[in-house]
Amino acid sequence: MPIEAIAALTAMALVAVASAVIGSLGVRVARSTSDFLVASRTVGPTANAGAISGEYLSAASFLGIAGLILRDGVDALWYPVGFTAGYLALVLFVAAPLRRSGAYTVPDFAESRLRSRTLRKICTVFVAVIGWLYLLPQLQGAGLTLTTVTGLPSWVGMVASAVVVVATVVLGGMRSITFVQAFQYWLKLTAMVVPATIAVIFFVSDERTFNREAPPQFPDRTVVDVRTDVVLRVEESVVVGYNGEDVNWEPGRYDVPAGTSLEFAGGAKVPVVLGAPVQDADWLVPYAGEQEGGLLGTYSLIIALFLGTMGLPHVLVRFYTNPDGRAARRTAVIVLGMLGVFYIAVTLVGALSRLYNPQLLVSGDTDAAVLLLPSAVLGSGWAGALLGALVAAGAWAAFLSTSSGLIVSIAGVLSTDVLRSGKVRDFRLAAVVAGAAPLVLSLTVTRLDFSEAVALVFAVAASTFCPLLVLGIWWRGLTDRGAIAGVLVGGVLSAGAVGVALSGQVPDGTLSVLLYRPALVTVPTAFLVMAVVSTLTRRRQPADTEQVMLRMHAPERLGLSRDRLAERLRSTGL
Amino acid sequence: MVPGAARSGAGRDDLSTLNERPGESTDKTIYEQVQASPEFADLRSRLRRFVFPMSAAFLVWYLAYVLLASYAPQFMAIKVLGNINVGLIIGLLQFVTTFLITTLYVRYANKHLDPAAERLRERIEGAA
Repeated sequence: MPIEAIAALTAMALVAVASAVIGSLGVRVARSTSDFLVASRTVGPTANAGAISGEYLSAASFLGIAGLILRDGVDALWYPVGFTAGYLALVLFVAAPLRRSGAYTVPDFAESRLRSRTLRKICTVFVAVIGWLYLLPQLQGAGLTLTTVTGLPSWVGMVASAVVVVATVVLGGMRSITFVQAFQYWLKLTAMVVPATIAVIFFVSDERTFNREAPPQFPDRTVVDVRTDVVLRVEESVVVGYNGEDVNWEPGRYDVPAGTSLEFAGGAKVPVVLGAPVQDADWLVPYAGEQEGGLLGTYSLIIALFLGTMGLPHVLVRFYTNPDGRAARRTAVIVLGMLGVFYIAVTLVGALSRLYNPQLLVSGDTDAAVLLLPSAVLGSGWAGALLGALVAAGAWAAFLSTSSGLIVSIAGVLSTDVLRSGKVRDFRLAAVVAGAAPLVLSLTVTRLDFSEAVALVFAVAASTFCPLLVLGIWWRGLTDRGAIAGVLVGGVLSAGAVGVALSGQVPDGTLSVLLYRPALVTVPTAFLVMAVVSTLTRRRQPADTEQVMLRMHAPERLGLSRDRLAERLRSTGL
Repeated sequence: MVPGAARSGAGRDDLSTLNERPGESTDKTIYEQVQASPEFADLRSRLRRFVFPMSAAFLVWYLAYVLLASYAPQFMAIKVLGNINVGLIIGLLQFVTTFLITTLYVRYANKHLDPAAERLRERIEGAA
């Protein structure tokens, strides 16, 4: 095993151990929900903001966004912008009233607002679906990290990472503790800012620029191993060593099957995967690539990211860690600052990868950009190995924090709503189920780009929980029937589109844009169905609607808000 | 969170007893009284006056960027400095706006929402 691999594996192991140690030194409690109760009295806004950012920045954010920037350029900025804006929507519309309602999860909110067990069960199902779909790119990201570092096949990486994260949740070594999440945020930030800074220093002393009407060039002689079938576009003729045989590629389209080895001389123009901008100058301008339905797709993406964040199970619950509304608002500003700094570093890494790792544009494996930047910039010496280890540790922290948060959330709803018991044994069983389901999925489906896979999940969350939360909080006319109908219609439509997109059987045209980016249609539909059915079943408005609404909108120091968790803990004797 | 508030279930909260004073009707729950108070109406309208126009404004700003990119690519491609063009600057400005709006919201809440909430609290507690 080469020195880089050993360094990176050691760093990843250290992250896992450090997280477990910090977790066990912190407040020890058995359940994430109780953790939030305890944490609310002990955690300041900065640590709390670190925790929120830590849980929010997933492996998909860490690896995927840089990859999309490398390939699509300015167009890909929408992902980080949408992720931060989604957080803002959560703060403006949902966070404070939901806090005051005393509900800790969406199923809990649904039941307390609309008094319906059926709705609660449906919401539980969607928490699991959203959580599993979100875990999918996380597992694949951890798998890609292990594969890139060690060279093992990707299924080994996915199985290993699933086992590690489920084991840490089950054994309680990585409880969902605020300080662990905060530690992982700072690690992720360091692991992104340091390589970005080093690459910028190299770029400044480099005479190359992006500002030119030409494709990127290979800095040195490069061999590209194509792992999945790709279609490449060549704009200027280039000599390629195709499986060891020199071929001249004239401008045009080339189908390259998986398993092909392509060799390029230093200075050769880089062929680019179909659909991405070829010229550097185009890459710097929005929509210069030949995207189909660019406007439609981007609007749909913005809606999904903007409205989907509030429906993510592991994000919502974090808001309970603030002692009051004022601290919650301060936390929100710090979080946005933290997310902003991180995403700007990611953007830089992605952009500079176009100079230093252009071979990823050929193999289509752009998600590996962050992982490969250190050795591309610093070479294969000890400095490159060290920086590579730092980046691998950051990717691993990103995977661990989001996945364990998700598995705890899913296992929480499964053990309370499906297994109907508060026993720790059942929680552990639920955690195994919560991890096994996405692992099976990740081994069978085709891998999308991480950020695109995550965007699909945001679309499902935006089509189900966003209408439920927004209408539930801001409209007294919502009824249980209306909510059930809206969540089901939005959920089935959006999850159906995701299913088709994941299966890889996507037809061409406008329909394909809407299958990958369903939110533009499914979110308004869900809102509409919810409003219409609620109006038709007006008589089913719960008798205590006024009280619940007031509790959510009156300031909390009036003492009107109640703590559903405290009630439940009392009733179950925990 | 007030621990005592969690004790009673739905219906009349234990706080409702605080409000019973001579001359005022006691058949209204605390919820109805708060709901009907001008202070609560004031608080809600202050919140809505900020949240809804602001959300509309920044959605328009995001969507306008996409429109510009689609229909005015020459404008977006104008070089400002070296590698940096107008599109890139507006793209990065989206982060700045998001941060700016949150900061504005926090300042607005501290300046306008908290005092309104405080007046509401004084009314409720003063009524006790």
